[in-house]
Amino acid sequence: MNVRRWSALTKRELLKIVRNPPAIATSLMLPILYLILFGQGFNFTSSLNSLPPAQQTVELHHLLLGAPDYFSYFAAGMVGFVGVTATLFLGANVIFDKLFGTLKRTTESPATALDIFGSRIVAGSIQPVGLAFLVLGLAIVLGDVGLAGLHVTAAVTAVGVVEVVAAILLLSLMFASLFLSLGFTIEQPQTYFALVNAINLPVLLTSAALYPWGAMPGWLQGIASYNPVTLAVEVIRIALFGGTYYPYSAGVYLLGLIGWAVAMFAITTYLIGRALAPKS
Amino acid sequence: MADAIVAEGLSKTFNGSLKAVDTVSFSVKEGEVFGFLGPNGAGKTTTLSMLTAILGPTAGRATVDGLDVVRHPHELKQRIGLVFQESTADPDLTGRENLEMAAALFGVPLRDTARRVNELLERLALVDSADRLVKTYSGGMRRRLELAVGMIHSPRVLFLDEPTLGLDPQGRAGFWKIVSDLRKETGMTVFLTTHYLDEADTVCERVAIIDHGHIVATGTPSELKDRLGGDIVTVRPMGNLEALAPALKGLPGVTSVTVQDGTLRVKCPSGDTLIPKVVGAATDRGISLAGVSLRRPSLDEVFLEFTGREFREDEGPSATDHAVQLNRIQSARRGRR
Repeated sequence: MNVRRWSALTKRELLKIVRNPPAIATSLMLPILYLILFGQGFNFTSSLNSLPPAQQTVELHHLLLGAPDYFSYFAAGMVGFVGVTATLFLGANVIFDKLFGTLKRTTESPATALDIFGSRIVAGSIQPVGLAFLVLGLAIVLGDVGLAGLHVTAAVTAVGVVEVVAAILLLSLMFASLFLSLGFTIEQPQTYFALVNAINLPVLLTSAALYPWGAMPGWLQGIASYNPVTLAVEVIRIALFGGTYYPYSAGVYLLGLIGWAVAMFAITTYLIGRALAPKS
Repeated sequence: MADAIVAEGLSKTFNGSLKAVDTVSFSVKEGEVFGFLGPNGAGKTTTLSMLTAILGPTAGRATVDGLDVVRHPHELKQRIGLVFQESTADPDLTGRENLEMAAALFGVPLRDTARRVNELLERLALVDSADRLVKTYSGGMRRRLELAVGMIHSPRVLFLDEPTLGLDPQGRAGFWKIVSDLRKETGMTVFLTTHYLDEADTVCERVAIIDHGHIVATGTPSELKDRLGGDIVTVRPMGNLEALAPALKGLPGVTSVTVQDGTLRVKCPSGDTLIPKVVGAATDRGISLAGVSLRRPSLDEVFLEFTGREFREDEGPSATDHAVQLNRIQSARRGRR
């Protein structure tokens, strides 16, 4: 690994992001639309208002693990969603760089495979962190304009913020590795997008990003417990709503995320190393 | 003078059956400009890819600047410069940013980077457009930027793969003038592939002609042209080719007559004075002529001499295109099973 090469290649990736405002707008548009159209429409917890207050609280805690309402629960889940979707473009960029010939300049230089994809992971993981805080900020603001909004019920600490940032970074790193390994091994953009859609949807639908935990069937809870998106949103929900209803601390969920990120990074290192080796 | 590039029995087979390069051997002296000539699909780029550690050879060995291309690919890439056929500069970065990134990739010390980048921008007449995005560059500017990127780390050996493809004659001349000046200043070795034989003739000190994966001739452009034995008069009789051939062989100064695609290729020291005699000989035998043309010795003629075909006739898909095509056919077959 060479720090100068990493920083030069990371700078290149960041410049490409900054110089493409339509792509930034598009990546912002998706979570905004979800918050406004999906989050507001599915904010079913208002229907619990008819229950006696004590029963209402028990029901909510069972369903949403301490979140005060579905929109707040969902807004934290959207951060996990952003961690996945904001890294999608990384693999697509590699395929287009291959098609246009620009990847050749780096792959046929003394830069190692680790320099080449590591720098793309670093650049690609920065954007989701920024987007995540924008999503949380917007979710809070929506509550001030007469719509359902994010209500933070726990005292947010500096440690909690660091844990949230770490969770988003680890989740982004994991999915950035996955999408980059696809980008380096697949030649056609059509194949890439088909595969990414086939991965994305099951990953999100088997996580606790969108579904109320208490409403999930037991088998789905079993799968969701190990899903990296669930692990990340649990760290975020603990920071925003407290950890009373969670069996483990945020640190344990972060360890699970580290395991996922390290495993995916190792697989990616192997696959991309093979893809960039001189052709025999 | 030591050899900068040595290839011994270098071969490359794609998909187990398509032999793109077949037992190629040659050497290039330090500081020499060496041209690898041949039509598309002849094996030029495949050979260059093996010499630059992009492709592993199927057989044989090669060294560049004393490094074995298979055993030391990483060190090799630090010592060579490479200019590809296509533009590899990032269109979303400026020319200067592309050069700065290349400097970091090729290990130019940070304290020297700005000086080196400015020096190359100036040499390659890119100063005024240095801070513009590359996507706004013309074809000629992109080619010059590619050369600057290839030169950023002052390589000992510079590989140029069809570097002037798509440029107009003025752009090509300008490009070669810069390469020639840089080579004189630095003493680097230049290995280039091209199918523009005229530019190889003026730029290269030595050339190898490759056809169907085999080297068919090596030497300086003058040596190769000398081997033709002078001018070539091409005679196209209207029938009765065989009757005219012995008559032409007997004309004074004629060194050889060969039959090729319905024409007679007549070699002689001076074509100008031979043409009236050729017309006379044909008239004496009652043979009408459809045409007579005179060609001075050129690398096109050299190619024709050694391969038996006109150079342009054989342009076709490259070996890589063949390999991709073969892969598709094999995949389709597997899919049907």
